[in-house]
Amino acid sequence: MSDLKPWLTLIYQRPGRLFIGALLMLAALLSGLGLLALSGWFITETALVGVLLAASLPATINLYVPGGGIRFFAVSRTVSRYVERLYNHDTVLLLLTDIRVALFRKLAAAGRGQRRELTGAQWLSRLTSDVDALDTLYLRLIAPTALAAFVTLLLFGLTWILFDVRIAASVALILGIAFAVATIGVYARTARIAARQSDQQESLRMAVVEHLEGFAELTAAGRVGKHGAWLMRQAHQTATEQVKADSRTGWHLAGSNLLINLSAAFALWAGFELFRAGMISGPVLVLLPIALLGLAEVYSMLPEAFGKLGATQASAARLNRDCRSNDLQQLPEEAIALPEGTALLAKDLTVKHPEHAPLFTHFDLQVKTGERVGILGHSGSGKSSLADTFSGLLAPSHGASSGLPCAYLTQKTVLFEDTLRANLLLGAPETSDTQLWRVLEMVDLAERFGSEPDQLDTWLGSSGSRLSGGEARRVALARVLLSPAPLLILDEPFTGVDAPTREKITKQMDVWLEGRTVISLAHGPDALPGTDRVVQLGV
Amino acid sequence: MSETALDQRVVRRWLSGLTRGNRRWIQGTVAAGTLAGVATILQMVFLARIVHLGVIEHAPASELTPYFFGLVLAIVFRSVAQGLQTHLAARCSEQVRRTARRQIHQHWCNVGPLELGQTSAGSLAREWIDHVDALHGYFARFLPQMTLSLIVPLLILVLVFYLDWLAGIFLLLSAPLIPFFMALVGMGAEKLNQQHFATVSRLSGQFLDKVRGITTLQLFGQTESAAEVIQQRSDQYRRITLKTLRVAFLSSAVLEFFASVAIAVIAIYIGFGLLGYITYGPSSDLTLFSGLLILLLAPEFFQPLRILSQHYHDRAAALGAGAEILARLNDGEPAASFSNAEAERMDAQPTTDEPGTNGKAIGLNAVSLAFRADQKVLNDVSLMIGEGDVIALTGPSGGGKSTLLNLLAGFLVPDSGDIHLFGMPAGSFAFGWLGQSGFLVHGTWADNLRLTSPDASDVAIETALRNVGLGPLLDSRKDGIFSQVTEDGQGLSGGQARRLSLARIFVADYDVILLDEPTAGLDSDSEMYVLEALHKLALAGKTLIFSTHHQALLALANRVLLVSGGEVNDV
Repeated sequence: MSDLKPWLTLIYQRPGRLFIGALLMLAALLSGLGLLALSGWFITETALVGVLLAASLPATINLYVPGGGIRFFAVSRTVSRYVERLYNHDTVLLLLTDIRVALFRKLAAAGRGQRRELTGAQWLSRLTSDVDALDTLYLRLIAPTALAAFVTLLLFGLTWILFDVRIAASVALILGIAFAVATIGVYARTARIAARQSDQQESLRMAVVEHLEGFAELTAAGRVGKHGAWLMRQAHQTATEQVKADSRTGWHLAGSNLLINLSAAFALWAGFELFRAGMISGPVLVLLPIALLGLAEVYSMLPEAFGKLGATQASAARLNRDCRSNDLQQLPEEAIALPEGTALLAKDLTVKHPEHAPLFTHFDLQVKTGERVGILGHSGSGKSSLADTFSGLLAPSHGASSGLPCAYLTQKTVLFEDTLRANLLLGAPETSDTQLWRVLEMVDLAERFGSEPDQLDTWLGSSGSRLSGGEARRVALARVLLSPAPLLILDEPFTGVDAPTREKITKQMDVWLEGRTVISLAHGPDALPGTDRVVQLGV
Repeated sequence: MSETALDQRVVRRWLSGLTRGNRRWIQGTVAAGTLAGVATILQMVFLARIVHLGVIEHAPASELTPYFFGLVLAIVFRSVAQGLQTHLAARCSEQVRRTARRQIHQHWCNVGPLELGQTSAGSLAREWIDHVDALHGYFARFLPQMTLSLIVPLLILVLVFYLDWLAGIFLLLSAPLIPFFMALVGMGAEKLNQQHFATVSRLSGQFLDKVRGITTLQLFGQTESAAEVIQQRSDQYRRITLKTLRVAFLSSAVLEFFASVAIAVIAIYIGFGLLGYITYGPSSDLTLFSGLLILLLAPEFFQPLRILSQHYHDRAAALGAGAEILARLNDGEPAASFSNAEAERMDAQPTTDEPGTNGKAIGLNAVSLAFRADQKVLNDVSLMIGEGDVIALTGPSGGGKSTLLNLLAGFLVPDSGDIHLFGMPAGSFAFGWLGQSGFLVHGTWADNLRLTSPDASDVAIETALRNVGLGPLLDSRKDGIFSQVTEDGQGLSGGQARRLSLARIFVADYDVILLDEPTAGLDSDSEMYVLEALHKLALAGKTLIFSTHHQALLALANRVLLVSGGEVNDV
């Protein structure tokens, strides 16, 4: 349950809304119960009076109050149900926003080292199914559970008043068991399956992706059928577990319905004794069992919600794990003073990923202000980790690094689904359009976007103008070049950019960056912009 | 509009086709549901009978006891049938999803790796896993409930008519409204569903975009403003969605309203009838038993329909997912002979004692292929390649090098002409293939190599890995070939992954090895290892065919072919 705690706290930040939503649900439920129970009472009363009238005995009946009541409940049931659905869907959407924003802030607060590198598909499932599991937690689970408990107590009270305390206690006992069967009973019997389910789903997804990526190799080796059959077995196993959980949930639902119906039968049976003793009237005797039968409506919402609780907890745990806050791992960084005229100083650096051999050890580097340094290293040598360390994204496991404020072009090109202008202004919000065109000119994109109808407002990303890998890289480069930071770190700045363009950009960059410090990292000398000196990594 | 309606029809046909082998599960589900309905009716009969006997006729307890037994029995029976219904429904959906998965996988095999490579593995996997799972609710809940929402109300209607035909007419009056309700509810639910999905996916897209780029936002100190943007956009969409919901929920409110009003009208009619105020029709015959029973059955009459409307989104979800799956299944002409070759592949063994025509191992005879009518990639190409040859294919990009390799692999079928390797059709026996990107599975080094050669010994695996220069990496891991390839999310570089694929080829000992640009995009280390490995394979007498521009690779070949302008010529 502790996994859910931060999310529950978030949900409970809107107590008023939750309360009103629950009240509306209660109103809808009570209207339904009231309609049937009052109708039952009314029919029994009229039957009794009818018998007397038929025997020409004097009898009176007030038709207006029960008739009005029945009409009122018929209308109030419809209206309250409609308003309740609308209001609570609004609440769910509000909670969705709350959860997303909270999640984003949490992620932003965590350092890159703490954030697990997830694939796009994994993020998509985190942000859709996992967040969905949480935003409907209130509507599916919390509110119905509270409601079921409350209405059960209400009926306990009603039984006490109309019948007697002994019968009320017995009914409450039966309903208590029904409640347990529909809630913790389901949870206890499905939680492990449900929690396992999402992990299985994730590893199945990974296996399918691998199968598809290796389809050519597997086909060539004549193994695609065998491997496919293995995948089918994995999928089948997951599905079988799900059937198990579903059918357990179904049996619990049936069980709780059984108990509710039995409580109604019991109330009728016990009520007859009171009726025969003349302690209650016939109409009252009928009213209570019918009201009890109506409980099935709210109880039937519970088993499914509790059957999914295990999965919801797993979702919450995943979200917690993927964006745990960084105060757990923050090592007290050895701050080193930056000597005068130095842009970056790294002393005795060791960078390693947890449980891996260090990428490199004892790395020293001093970069003077205005210097252009190139760092070369083959793939897997830890170039990008070094750049992360310089920019402060990654804490070194040994040694220290400190530098001037920097703008950092990461190895991965990241552009946002937004306008070209918004993408460029990220690093320097105050830049004028003239400046923007100048920098686009420099990365050889001015012509490309000059011919677009929307110019600087050209929409980038999947729904907008499609950029090639090289073009996207140059937009990202332009964004870093616009930043006023005195130190620039460029990791593979020219990925996907052809040689002639690369040369052109290099030349123009030299002028633009006059007086600023640049550290560029690449796999080969021809992928570096102009440098004063080159450091070879990992030799 | 008509087009989407047509699409839906096709999707529905496909969905019902999926049930073909699983009819008995659906029938079982419906039967259990019907039994539960019958038990419910019995329960209400006993209940009304007991009340009538006890209240009106003042029957003693002993006389009521058998009725109470009947009541409890009906209640138990109802629950058992209900539990059985969900159990059968879950099994049914499981079977159907299995069938769908098998169909999709068969389709993958039919179109072959080349066509499959056009779509991202992630979205194909999503179709195979998530879209197929989205069919669950349709088969487990909606489909059986469709039938049940006809059967159970009909049973109740018959009984109510028997009890009091006027009350029956009240219910029947709402019966013609039921299809009308269903259409209303359907339209509303569909709209709601579409709106919901559109909103959620748009929001998720924008959110995902920001999360993916969060490091960049951090570097530029823009995370807080991005959080505000997310907040604003979410709020904006919430308001738009609510406008639609206001209308969409009306349809179910109408259903709710009619159900409530029907119950109220029946209650008041019965009440007045019992008082003897209504002199017309059958109402003078009403007793507390028949009156109460009608009242108790009235909500049960509407209940199946209400459940159906709750499950309506299952239908929409299944239709949406089904449409996407179906689009994929109809996509791409299955290369007929490709699938045949696939089926025969495991049986075929290279007949080395008969080394093909004229001592040549591999031959192309008048092969032509065009992707577009006006432009032939290969035009009437004939070619002989000897066993043990090392062939480099060179030429401009888009000139047809990869096409030729894919033809030799049997991943593509020529428009005309024929291709044989060792006297057998292309792709009919196991061979080595190295694509542009390496491939690895989540597991140990040994798992990865045994994927294509299940019987390889530990020593052979280690030797193969060392052959491609992965020795140092292996030494840095605790358990050697039994350590995980990817640990703690740290993957292999592109070059390392490609070398791992090359190691598979070393272990498997294929006679023919096809490689598409084996050194493209590699760093100098990996390049060196790949060259060395290919050299070793050439020395071992394997037939190597690769496309390349790389000087060192061209030097390794004993024959260089220029693929250009639809022709293949020796250089």
